[in-house]
Amino acid sequence: MGLFMILFTLIGGITLSAQSSINGTFSRKAGTIETTLLTFLTGTMFLTIFILFFGSGNVLALLDAPKWQLSAAFMGTMYLLLTVMAVPRIGVIATNIAGIAGQLIIGVIIDHFGWFNSLVIELDAKRAFALLFMIISLYFIYKGNKGSNKENS
Amino acid sequence: MRFISYLLALLAGAALSFEGAIYAELGKTIGQIETSFYNFFMGSIILGLLWLFFGKGKISYTLEAPKWSLLGGVLGVVYLTSIVVSVPFVGVGITMVAVIIGQLVMSMVIEHFGWLGSKKIKINKEKIFAVISMIISLILIN
Repeated sequence: MGLFMILFTLIGGITLSAQSSINGTFSRKAGTIETTLLTFLTGTMFLTIFILFFGSGNVLALLDAPKWQLSAAFMGTMYLLLTVMAVPRIGVIATNIAGIAGQLIIGVIIDHFGWFNSLVIELDAKRAFALLFMIISLYFIYKGNKGSNKENS
Repeated sequence: MRFISYLLALLAGAALSFEGAIYAELGKTIGQIETSFYNFFMGSIILGLLWLFFGKGKISYTLEAPKWSLLGGVLGVVYLTSIVVSVPFVGVGITMVAVIIGQLVMSMVIEHFGWLGSKKIKINKEKIFAVISMIISLILIN
């Protein structure tokens, strides 16, 4: 089950990357806020139809859900705003790499302490090495991008 | 002042992990697709307000744009749903590593071929090393 989930999440990452290329192209003519709004609107339309036919949960239970669980919607917006603030000052690549570092560090911390009622997975030596390899990989991406930028200009 | 910008970017990433962990919990009570729906519905409202007050672009471009460039929303749905489904099974750490790997590898492929209107940037030696380190990391973390 775990392996299947990892594959599924890899696909999620793939679609996310396709999304950022498509949205990047679209936003050059339409603007950043407009692009994001369109992304959310079309996503909502799609999911409305999907839920009506295949939804097995209960949307109305949203009203009874603890408010802290609903606050996650602001996290996505916060991500967008902070990214938009950082990109002009330090560049897209540096922003993405710093963002990924933040994502991994907090991800491992949440697992370690089991925050938000999540699975408790301790930060052991193996996990620490995994993080180290992720950082090495980010370093190579940073270097690789610098190299190809020079070739292009 | 550059230091603060790096901090902002770190925080941005942290927000994504928090989002994943919290939505996983919401998904257990109201359902996973329903959680995705909530995210996009609420996001539309927040962005709708932001657009009304701060939008400087041209929303009418939506009607003129090539149709494939309108697919961002549907792709975002796949991403968010995969996170909500996966976190309760494998935890936030592995989920984030897997998402990031999928994202980085696909970005390299997209740029290498110049797909989807992106600038063509060839894959180089460093990027291949990067992918190898990422795969080692995924094996270790699992």
